[in-house]
Amino acid sequence: MDAILPVLLFVVIAAAVSVGLVVFAELVGPKRHGAVKEMPYESGMDPIHDTRRRFDVRFHLVAITFLVFDVELLFLYPWAVASRSAAGIDAAVADGFVSSRGLVFMAAMVFTAFVIVGFAYDWKKGVFRWR
Amino acid sequence: MNALLPSPATIAALVKIGLLIGGLMTAAAYLVLVERWMAAWVQDRKGPNRVGIPLTKIRLFGLGQPLADGLKIILKEDFTPKHVDKVLYNAAPLLILATSLAIFAAIPFGSVLPPLGIPGLPDPVPFLVAPSLDVGVLWVFALSSITVYSVLLGGWASNNKYGFLGGLRSSAQLVAYEIPLGLGLLGVVLAAGSLRLDVIMSAQAQSGVWYVFAQPLGFIVFLVAAFAEAARLPFDLPEAEQELVGGYHTEYSGIKLLLFLVAEFLHMVTASFLIVIMFLGGWHFWGLTGAGDEVTWAGALIRFGVLSAKIFAVILFFMLVRWSWPRFRFDQLMNLAWKVMLPLGLANLVTVATIEEFRPQLVAALGAGPAKWLAIAAPWAVFFIGWIAAGLLTPSGTDNRPIRAHDPFDIEHELSGA
Repeated sequence: MDAILPVLLFVVIAAAVSVGLVVFAELVGPKRHGAVKEMPYESGMDPIHDTRRRFDVRFHLVAITFLVFDVELLFLYPWAVASRSAAGIDAAVADGFVSSRGLVFMAAMVFTAFVIVGFAYDWKKGVFRWR
Repeated sequence: MNALLPSPATIAALVKIGLLIGGLMTAAAYLVLVERWMAAWVQDRKGPNRVGIPLTKIRLFGLGQPLADGLKIILKEDFTPKHVDKVLYNAAPLLILATSLAIFAAIPFGSVLPPLGIPGLPDPVPFLVAPSLDVGVLWVFALSSITVYSVLLGGWASNNKYGFLGGLRSSAQLVAYEIPLGLGLLGVVLAAGSLRLDVIMSAQAQSGVWYVFAQPLGFIVFLVAAFAEAARLPFDLPEAEQELVGGYHTEYSGIKLLLFLVAEFLHMVTASFLIVIMFLGGWHFWGLTGAGDEVTWAGALIRFGVLSAKIFAVILFFMLVRWSWPRFRFDQLMNLAWKVMLPLGLANLVTVATIEEFRPQLVAALGAGPAKWLAIAAPWAVFFIGWIAAGLLTPSGTDNRPIRAHDPFDIEHELSGA
């Protein structure tokens, strides 16, 4: 709780500052409406059609690839922190949870190798080719 | 103690939050002025130098400009067009400013104060709002990912084609560059053994080797990704004025536009903080600041000054790049992220992991001095090899027309390896 309280305070105050600014400006600013003013801005032309249409999202594959890579990287964070800190891998080796430090390092490197193989496969398949 | 009174730790947190928010908002306003001066200097003109004290002839080099601009934009009409999705339209700017401020809960803005001796307050007091938050960097990254949502929300809720395209571009770009950003970070976390930014800074201070020297490749990858995440030129595709008017904030006006613009500036400031803290040694400078946790008042001030000076220098670099580089095309942008930065980031990760793992053996075999120099030389070798490889593998600059596939909608055909 001690760790998270300042963060919560900060979030609340930051939100309050943003809302306060908008509300204040809403109160002091003028309000004028007009038919032309309320049209979508399209460089002075009449809008051709609604924006809410089906749209071919080209980066669908890229988004999926991102998800995979990001999750794979997330798996490496605990290892990165544990490999050097006092209560990390060395303590686990001393307590007998892990047989040796080298084994953990090998596991991490094999994992990274899998990531690289997957990356090379994606590249070969043309996932990163932006059209 | 009275149960209704907040504890000294809470009061200290509130004071720090107040100082940070006030400082950041002021800094954002005045950095706009600095940026305009920089633009004027690059373009060989004078820039804003007129606004001073009202009703007098005192000009003060234009230092009144941010105040006048802020006042003006607050008093402007905050117009909500008829065709927008009201809830999301209003939520997007609030979300983006609140998150880009709250990021600073985990970012230290100095070292520590000398012991104050106030009962109930742990000594020494760090320049950090949430000092015991162990996931520091993850908080920063989580909140900066939420930015994508507000940009996409703003673009979609505007129901405007420019806004929609800007939002789409922005999400593709931020998503693509988050992986190089994470890879650059991972090397630093490996070397420092902690996700806390203050620990990362003191690790660099104690060894005296900033991570920019120990991990040059990681620095470059992180720097480029940070530029892209802050959507600064040459990566400002989401709001390319010449193509998309304003991108995702085309339909915004008045105070909500201001919130978007301030948040964008804060992203640049955040990126500078991260670059300085993670790679440029934070508050440390050789022979000037010392390295330990024991500081005098003068020492605390010097550390704060060194950190601020470095951050200001990085911000100036951001601005100089903005006014001297042309914008990328979108396929170039995506290629840079996936085909250059990601492999380089992986190379950096493997190099750093290997060196950090075998450092004790190196020290035992060679002695402390040579082992240290070898641990610096090896990443530089990888850096130059990676640089040359990236240069050789990318096509030459003469023909950089976009590659037109047979049928842009036929993804199956593409995947079958045509």
